[in-house]
Amino acid sequence: MNKIAISGLGVVSPSGIDKRKFWANIKSGQSAVEKIERFDASRYTSRIAGHVRELDAYSNVSSRLLKKIDLFSHMALVASELAINDAGLDLSKENLERAGIFMGNAIGGWLYGETELRDLYIEGREGVSPFMASAWFPAAPQGQVSIRYGLKGYSKTIVADRASSLMAIAYAARNLNRDKNDFIIAGGMEAPVTPYALLCCQTSGVLTQQNDTPQTAYRPYDKNRDGFAIAEGAGIVIMESPERAAQRGAEVYANVIGFGTTTDGVDRIEPAEDGVQLARAITIALDNAGLKPTDIDYICLDGAATRIGDITETRAIRSVFNGHSDQLICSAPKSIYGNLLGATGAVDVITTVLAMQNDTVPPTINLNEPDPECDLNYCANTAQSREINNALVINRGRGGINCVLVLQKAG
Amino acid sequence: MNPEEALKTKFNEVLDLKPEEIVLDQPIGEAHDVDSTELVEISVGLKKDYGFQLSDNDLKKTHTFNDIVEILKTKGAT
Repeated sequence: MNKIAISGLGVVSPSGIDKRKFWANIKSGQSAVEKIERFDASRYTSRIAGHVRELDAYSNVSSRLLKKIDLFSHMALVASELAINDAGLDLSKENLERAGIFMGNAIGGWLYGETELRDLYIEGREGVSPFMASAWFPAAPQGQVSIRYGLKGYSKTIVADRASSLMAIAYAARNLNRDKNDFIIAGGMEAPVTPYALLCCQTSGVLTQQNDTPQTAYRPYDKNRDGFAIAEGAGIVIMESPERAAQRGAEVYANVIGFGTTTDGVDRIEPAEDGVQLARAITIALDNAGLKPTDIDYICLDGAATRIGDITETRAIRSVFNGHSDQLICSAPKSIYGNLLGATGAVDVITTVLAMQNDTVPPTINLNEPDPECDLNYCANTAQSREINNALVINRGRGGINCVLVLQKAG
Repeated sequence: MNPEEALKTKFNEVLDLKPEEIVLDQPIGEAHDVDSTELVEISVGLKKDYGFQLSDNDLKKTHTFNDIVEILKTKGAT
């Protein structure tokens, strides 16, 4: 596929809001996972999460609108504003009928939804806020961003569990290749630190239970791992053709040059034991980008921190990269701030773009005793200097959804 | 609370408008960009105050603040 430029970044995460603060914290490897105190989580087996702090300091969303939207839309609005400003986009000069929004999340606005459903059962129909109708559903952030900026072009919301926002960015790139939009605001948002959302994640059996040590609990590829910690946040990027970015004098961070998606089709929660379909997604992505395995310098990993997730991901990479596997450097920076579920891919893309820009691989933290079956170079615990020209981002959703994006350094 | 004060309170709670910011004699859709869900929220709040339900015809974007106060009075709000 033709290259699509990433020309603006907006991040709202437990490791900081805005790219500079975020990158400084990611590079340092300082964990942002904490005990959940927003509600009483004492009866949950997993009671830790990455929380976004200081959102209000970055927000110019009116208090009137805040009553009508869920936290996931609020974070999307803040991240979108950061990305638009970072890209230097002057929307007054754009054809807004050619401006698209491609966003992904896995669970929708459950903080709002849960509260109103509780009121429905306690108070009856009239206890439910009319704002519920437009606050909870997964496409709400797309709608809010559209309303805020008057964007009226071809747009989509993608729901594909933890691959949602990576797919949103991939399909945004495909849409720009098809010349359906001039530019796209793409990414994802998630607000899962709520009683019901946490419960759903917990019952899937994918969350860590190392509650007494939040900062070291999320430990992908370590033999003592027992799942991931959830996190909230949003990642938004501005995407356009490199030619268009050059015409308006915008800095291009990196280009999306290919992607691949497959599904395992074996279980509603677990990925397939063999990793064959993830390997096929990697191969499709490389073919789509016109690259060979030996062209890849870095892989931003899914890092589920479940036994089957870690081992099958490693197995898939080994099968595609063969002898080059030992030259590769990989990492799961989300071990620092938690897994943002449907928003994780967008934040992974932003992390990888910043890694390329800074010639630095962010670490996988809490990796002290690697699982013998996980034998890649995971950049354990400390960031490493490394020039990255081509990189992959891997995201996997429950039930074996695989998405792989290929990024190339600009210039 | 008289109907005017009650409605000002609802406008403040739902629309974040201070009493002095409320335009009394212009359609509320034009003056304050009130949307349909906000009208429902105001209506539910008034029902809690007065015990009667305002119909869709009673609470429209084309009504002014003063129109709604009059409707409340005709329904017996004091």
